[in-house]
Amino acid sequence: MTIDALCRVVDNYGDIGVVYRLARALSALPDPPRLRLVVDDLSAFSLLEPAVDPALPVQSLRGWTVLDWAGPDASGSPHGSRARSYADAYADGPPRVVLECFACGRPDWLEEVLFDDSRYRDAGGAVATRTIVNLEYLSAEAYPDEFHRLPSLTRSSSVRKHMFMPGFTPATGGLILDREFVEAVRLAAEPGPRRALRAAIAGGLGLSADPDRFWALLFGYERDYGPIVDDLAALSRSTPMVVFAAAGKSRPCVEAAWERAGRPFELVRLPFINQRDWDRLLAAMDFSLVRGEDSLSRAALAGRPFLWHAYPQGGDQSLKVRGLVERMRPFFGPDDFEPLEAAFEAVNDRIDDSPTVRGSERVSAMLEPSAGVRAGFAAFSERLLNNGDLAANLMTFLRGLV
Amino acid sequence: MLMTSDLRVGTVFKSGKDVVVVQRMLGNKGGRGGVVVKMRVKNLLTGSTADLGLDSGEKFEEVMLDQHKMRLSFIDGDNYVFMDQESFEQYELTKEDLGDNAQYITPEDDFDVEITFYEGKPVGVVLPISIERTITYCEPGIKGDTSGKSTKPATLDSGCVVQVPLFCDIGTRIRLDTRDGTFQERVK
Repeated sequence: MTIDALCRVVDNYGDIGVVYRLARALSALPDPPRLRLVVDDLSAFSLLEPAVDPALPVQSLRGWTVLDWAGPDASGSPHGSRARSYADAYADGPPRVVLECFACGRPDWLEEVLFDDSRYRDAGGAVATRTIVNLEYLSAEAYPDEFHRLPSLTRSSSVRKHMFMPGFTPATGGLILDREFVEAVRLAAEPGPRRALRAAIAGGLGLSADPDRFWALLFGYERDYGPIVDDLAALSRSTPMVVFAAAGKSRPCVEAAWERAGRPFELVRLPFINQRDWDRLLAAMDFSLVRGEDSLSRAALAGRPFLWHAYPQGGDQSLKVRGLVERMRPFFGPDDFEPLEAAFEAVNDRIDDSPTVRGSERVSAMLEPSAGVRAGFAAFSERLLNNGDLAANLMTFLRGLV
Repeated sequence: MLMTSDLRVGTVFKSGKDVVVVQRMLGNKGGRGGVVVKMRVKNLLTGSTADLGLDSGEKFEEVMLDQHKMRLSFIDGDNYVFMDQESFEQYELTKEDLGDNAQYITPEDDFDVEITFYEGKPVGVVLPISIERTITYCEPGIKGDTSGKSTKPATLDSGCVVQVPLFCDIGTRIRLDTRDGTFQERVK
């Protein structure tokens, strides 16, 4: 099977990050599909995977064909080398299976082909059916259970479409369990391998971070990180600590709070790092605050205390946060869960983001977790792992359709 | 062409060779990637119904059907009889034909509706976007809370249950959006 996976980068790197991760997970499966990745922002892709050349409209990467969304005519020279490259990429025939990631739509040039029955007619006159699957955003709310694998419609009887929902329950497609990340989580679970993993991460990134200290990662949106820095500072008085401030909107806010608190712990300002290094870093943390659905899924799978800073949607993010909290609740005792729930709600209780938005979040219960809190995060991770790999679930679904 | 956001109960559109009518909106979720909608549709060619998930990216050809302005004459069990206001002919639709719209209609209603016809047969009803209904049951109203942010379930005179602000009470006349059943305002 050949899959054309489509991705438009809406903001930051979440969309392309998931597609890149999914592509790797699909390729690691037994009997993997052939992949063509059609991406509208190759520069963003190249930051996650440095082997991507943003200047090349068609290129090979890890055995995949990566194509610029703009298509064969973008240069205004349909008979030029660009058009030939696209023609070569589809030398084995027009696309049959399209994975539309996050309802990103389809580029005009591919749409034209996909809905042209004459290109799919065999010698006997029969028209081959094409299949589109819309892979939706990750949400812990209840609706993915209902929407998962629902048939959909297109304007053509020859092009059928279905929904595929990632999620936190067995009734969804699950989360992507890419081998490299799962391996990093496994290593981080044992003290010896964890120390080696941390040393390798620090060495690889050129950082002088002591692997034996408490490691915390802060990667959120703009806000006043004072309350979280205060709790980290309190722990740092008894526990040596390294706090990693990820590149992006939250870093200046974290730095400002850290300065105000009198630089109470070692702060490492992370550069933008590729996905493989980011995953390993996240897996090795004692505590992480993350944003975005992809990092949420990684933090949840890591089995360590984490806090999710949801993308602000004018207050509507509270539904997503509430969904996640309710997924987590069964894995904790009431007393253990109360401060966690309060922290998730407090850090996400805002209409919009700015460096002055301050909440009442306290994270001490995650920094110094009780046995119950520790076991709860581990059990939540275990449940997510048991839901199965989204890539494998997707292939099973596709093979049932095609 | 119709976008997913244009589809509502009673809309008839083409998907390939099939002609389908939206019978029920079963939920929608909005996110950064647009809205995903779950709906029940009936295939007017085969008579089969199916629950579908639609994202915001697809476009569909609207089927231009005959539409006639009518008013409800009476309800007989699961059959709804409407009268054409020009020809005075009567047409019968089933509760299933009305889909979700059935829950907003009472025998006393005298507002105009659009009945859509496919190959001479009535297949759906499009209600006015905004209609008035009376609350027949809800928990007692809370005076002073006029923000409308907090809601409670209320049963309407048509039998359906919708969310209304806390200040509403039994007997309160409200204006309702028939596209999604949301409270619009209190009728004074």
